[in-house]
Amino acid sequence: MAELLEGIRVLELARNVAGPFAGKVMADYGAEVLKVEAPDGDPSRRAGPFLRDEPNAETSALFLHLNTNKQGIALNLADREAQGIVRRLAAEADLVIEDFRPGQLDEWGIGWDALSEGRDDLVFASITPFGQDGPYRDYRASEITLQAMGGPLHLNGTAEREPVKSGGNVAHYHAGLSAAYAMMLARWRVEQGGAGDCIDVAVYEAQMGFRDRRTVYMTATAYVGRSAKRQRPGMRMATGVRPCADGYVNLLAGGGRHFRGVLEMIGRGDLAARPELGLPLLEMPPEFVEEVETAWLTWLLQTPKQEAVAKTQALGVLGGAIFTTADLVNDPHYRGRGVWETIDHPMTGPIEYTGRQLILSDTPKQPSCHAPLLGQHTVEVLVDRLGYAREDLPRLRAAGVI
Amino acid sequence: MADQANGRDEQHRLPLEGVRVADITVVWAGPHVTQLLGEWGADVVRVEPMNRIQPYSRGGERVMSKAQAMRAADQGVLQSAYPDFDPGEDPWNRSPSFNAHARHKRSMTCDVMSPAGREAFLRLIEQSDVFVENNVPTTIERAGLTWDVLSEVNPRLIMLRMPAYGLDGPYRGYRGFGTHVEGMIGHHYLRGYRDMTPEATGDAFTADAIAGVMGALAVTMALRHREHSGRGQQIEMPLAEAFLPALGEYILDYTMNGRVAPPQGNGHAAHAPHGVYPTAGDDQWIAIDVASDEEFEALCRILEAPEWTRDERFATGPQRWLHADDLDALLAERTRPHDKMPLFHALQDAGVTCGPVQDELEALACPDLEAREWFQPITMEGVGTHPYPGLLFRMANTPNRLHVPPPKLGEHNEQVYLDLLGYSHEEYQSLIEQGLVGTTYPPEVVPRTF
Repeated sequence: MAELLEGIRVLELARNVAGPFAGKVMADYGAEVLKVEAPDGDPSRRAGPFLRDEPNAETSALFLHLNTNKQGIALNLADREAQGIVRRLAAEADLVIEDFRPGQLDEWGIGWDALSEGRDDLVFASITPFGQDGPYRDYRASEITLQAMGGPLHLNGTAEREPVKSGGNVAHYHAGLSAAYAMMLARWRVEQGGAGDCIDVAVYEAQMGFRDRRTVYMTATAYVGRSAKRQRPGMRMATGVRPCADGYVNLLAGGGRHFRGVLEMIGRGDLAARPELGLPLLEMPPEFVEEVETAWLTWLLQTPKQEAVAKTQALGVLGGAIFTTADLVNDPHYRGRGVWETIDHPMTGPIEYTGRQLILSDTPKQPSCHAPLLGQHTVEVLVDRLGYAREDLPRLRAAGVI
Repeated sequence: MADQANGRDEQHRLPLEGVRVADITVVWAGPHVTQLLGEWGADVVRVEPMNRIQPYSRGGERVMSKAQAMRAADQGVLQSAYPDFDPGEDPWNRSPSFNAHARHKRSMTCDVMSPAGREAFLRLIEQSDVFVENNVPTTIERAGLTWDVLSEVNPRLIMLRMPAYGLDGPYRGYRGFGTHVEGMIGHHYLRGYRDMTPEATGDAFTADAIAGVMGALAVTMALRHREHSGRGQQIEMPLAEAFLPALGEYILDYTMNGRVAPPQGNGHAAHAPHGVYPTAGDDQWIAIDVASDEEFEALCRILEAPEWTRDERFATGPQRWLHADDLDALLAERTRPHDKMPLFHALQDAGVTCGPVQDELEALACPDLEAREWFQPITMEGVGTHPYPGLLFRMANTPNRLHVPPPKLGEHNEQVYLDLLGYSHEEYQSLIEQGLVGTTYPPEVVPRTF
């Protein structure tokens, strides 16, 4: 069965989350992705969490997750002979993705200028915190600082405290997807007879263009010259996160047109009949809001989260439950849809991973292969693909090339 | 064939020129997909009913007066941020949440639930490469516009369906925004404060942002495959499932170790200090992330706290991590007197990873974004000229400027019905008379709260 990206070859010179996620998405849908790691491995191999919490370069969850379906070789990119190997590998690749500081790969003779020479069709993408030019070009950044500068971090959390970061590495996952999209756009043009291109992804700017409240409030602020602020919990009547019998739910009940039905459903038809309910939320009398909140919480605290969601959904209310990872992984909906994929690995044994994002009617995703062990395909690539003699390998190893 | 306006040549034309996208999307995630396709050259035709407002899409279903909107803004709520807070006569054309994603799209009014509208839509499908929708699954089913039907009309169509939870399964009919989906996949819980309940964590819409890019990527991958196979296909991409890979390491921690990830707050698995610290002024903060001894020494130097480098508790990375709460409390006292921007530059110059927490006004004034011309002005009739969020990435050899303003409701009706779909003037006139084609909503569908 053909896969979506069959025939596309990707060279990945990228570390941690963003670049490897771009490579993973393409590898998961059929591209042939060759990952180049330093001899001590991608830093995500040291990030964990590890199997049984024992640090081991082969059992870091972050690395295992982000590098499925790739081949891997270990090369010291600062070494001249290794740079020659990269140039040969790039000559066979359609797409190159890298995440070194601006100018680093040029210094090594493996940047866009070197690799695109005589190659109109090469697509080359760089992911950096602030892009290839501009006053912040050489500044340092990480997930939390980029969410702070580029994302809506100032709006996350409660007005009573410091703003709080969005969970995990979302800024970098998003930037990786953006890079993958940019590369596929450019590759599409190449296959239509156009030229390749050099793509500049700044995680900062990708965060700025992040389509959650960020772009909405950015446009709104440009329209009115004011910006939004963090809100206090419980500020919106019967809307937002509330406790229930066995956890928490997040229901958009109070502000919606379905709220009358909700009040009737919880046995408070008397409140549903009150004229205050017709006012804009921010203008309702506080005593009325208090009365409604009390009724709402009384019902919620007697109702388990799944039941509260199902009953309000049946009335047309938007909302959901607050799941933990355990709730998520064991949930029959996701399990029944087959979102988890068991992948075997020599060190961890078979483990469930997040599988496909897409269900494709013509090119279903094929079973996945585990992330490469450090340097797993070095011999295969150097000997079988590039024609090195097996006898060369000890010398390359001793010289610190591989 | 150089494009003089943009300095592009044929080899570097916008990649999706020549690709047509039919768009029945609502709220944020779906419109973001078609935004990303449109700004890279696709001809996106937004198909919108004019006899009802698509929920939460043109921002017109609860319109506040200027006074009400300004009172809300005083409380930090930008619910109704029409230009100058004025909803005007046609608020649906002035909504920032709509206009933020609607550039580079055309709008036709067409109610696919009516026989005449469905007919027009099928004609559009014949001439489209892609169809994107993100409605509750039953909406498309009730309209009779499922893949089995549309693939008969156009076997080369790429149909992207983006339900919240799936076209099947127990949650198939569940309605929600990105923020609700984030609850149902464990992200809301993760992004809480470590010492507070999820109630203290407000809404985010991260799932919409991730799904938007993933959807656009899926479309380009499928277009490319179509060139080889000759066939289109249906892509089902639930919002929930598009987001799951962004949680991959937490999910593996559970499946591998049985650990339920607790709320993460501003903490990090290995770095300390790592957090958001107060600076001078009201609600002003700086994020700092120290990953090495060198960075810690530089931090102590800039904040004039040499005693920390001699403190046993902070001698090594693991020690700092163990005593992160103590360190955070000390650090907050030292950052508090500083203005965040000078502190940001001083720390960066010393090699410390940090960044100011920026609101939208600060972002609009950021010198780095200005130097890179990230914001781009768009002039929209009746709305004025304003800077809009720019592109997610740049292509060095393909200059790309935003230049098509968000479409007003039905703005391109004539172009689409007459020129593209081949309707006669008489047929077009008849659609207008039936109330299916036009440029305004009937007054009763735009409830005003004043």
